[in-house]
Amino acid sequence: MPERMKPDWMQLVRERLAASRSCHQDVVAELAAHLEEVYEDARTGTSSDAEAMRIAFAQVDDWQALAAEIARTKSEEDSMNHQSMNFQSMSHRTKTVWLPAIAVLFGVGLLLLFVDRAAVLQRLSFIACMALLLCAVASEANRMNLRTSSLWLPGFVSLTAASLLMFAEEIMLARDPSFYFTDVSLRPGHLISGLPRWFYILWLLGQVLCGALGALLSRRGGGARATRVVAGAFPALVMFLLCGLVIPVSAIFEHNTIAASHPSRLALGIVIWAAVPAVALLLGAAPFLKESTLRQA
Amino acid sequence: MTQRIRSQITRGSGELAILSLLSEQPLYGFEIAKRIDERTSGAMKFTLASLYPLLYEMEKRGWVEGRWQANHAGRDRRYYRLTPSGRKQLAPLKEEWRNFFQALDALTGVSHA
Repeated sequence: MPERMKPDWMQLVRERLAASRSCHQDVVAELAAHLEEVYEDARTGTSSDAEAMRIAFAQVDDWQALAAEIARTKSEEDSMNHQSMNFQSMSHRTKTVWLPAIAVLFGVGLLLLFVDRAAVLQRLSFIACMALLLCAVASEANRMNLRTSSLWLPGFVSLTAASLLMFAEEIMLARDPSFYFTDVSLRPGHLISGLPRWFYILWLLGQVLCGALGALLSRRGGGARATRVVAGAFPALVMFLLCGLVIPVSAIFEHNTIAASHPSRLALGIVIWAAVPAVALLLGAAPFLKESTLRQA
Repeated sequence: MTQRIRSQITRGSGELAILSLLSEQPLYGFEIAKRIDERTSGAMKFTLASLYPLLYEMEKRGWVEGRWQANHAGRDRRYYRLTPSGRKQLAPLKEEWRNFFQALDALTGVSHA
């Protein structure tokens, strides 16, 4: 007996909601999933394909009315999300705990930077700021829109984890917290021996976990596959931006000629600190990129 | 006017039904509709058209939150769970409906019919 063709529920719903461009992809996916279950439920009974389709589509009398109602609810929701960007509407915990703590730690970090003391404490305070910022964002989870919950939050969690990992390694493997970073960047040959090699290998292995974390959180936040890829590879993208944008800008505005005089080193730096970690991050993200047919756009 | 009252009663009872179900465990839309149908022996029915606008409205109010995750069959479904704010709504809503039925009973004796 030939296998019956499964209806493309996403497409069927998309066509019926076509007049309402404000219906988000997530809404289409959710409604399609519902129709699919109604259809399969009917099929497990005694219904024929045609009867099961009829039962599924009897769920909605007027698609345009439904689209309009959903669009109204969602647009008000978006509007609320935008309104929530002000201080007044933040949660009590964010206003009384997270933001003051971030301000104090950031101030301490800046002060130490200014007086050029306690390099480890400087970095620790800035990384703690990032962690607290994530706590603040998590406190506002109910107000987050899809992009924030599926891209920015997972991306910054992944970036924070990658930064903490590097910091922890520097504490454990070296006395001078800037030694290995500088050493590996300027003398890539050191990667093949000694502590720098272990530093780099351990860090790369950690990137697999960071990529997995970013993609997992993005999936839980409702991110599509492309969003999960970006969230998983976020630390490498930031590094790539730093190498590809900040260094040329520094060369132009500050006449910092190190990149211009050593272009091969710059390229190698991008490979070591952005391209190879990107591969490791994506390896970690891979198990969380699997997408059901319903979520595919 | 009658239609409006009926619509508000339907909506109100739907909110209570959904909050009660989600207070037990997170569920996705189809499961919510199916369980309401089963537990009320078909007296309350939610179609796609009546369920999702209500769910999105409750999500907008912060009573429930939806998150995509895989169901037991490995398919991505948007599971709704009760938020602390939604949990706070549950007891007053139940009380409101209890009072409503008592008032209706006193007026019409409908529960003894």
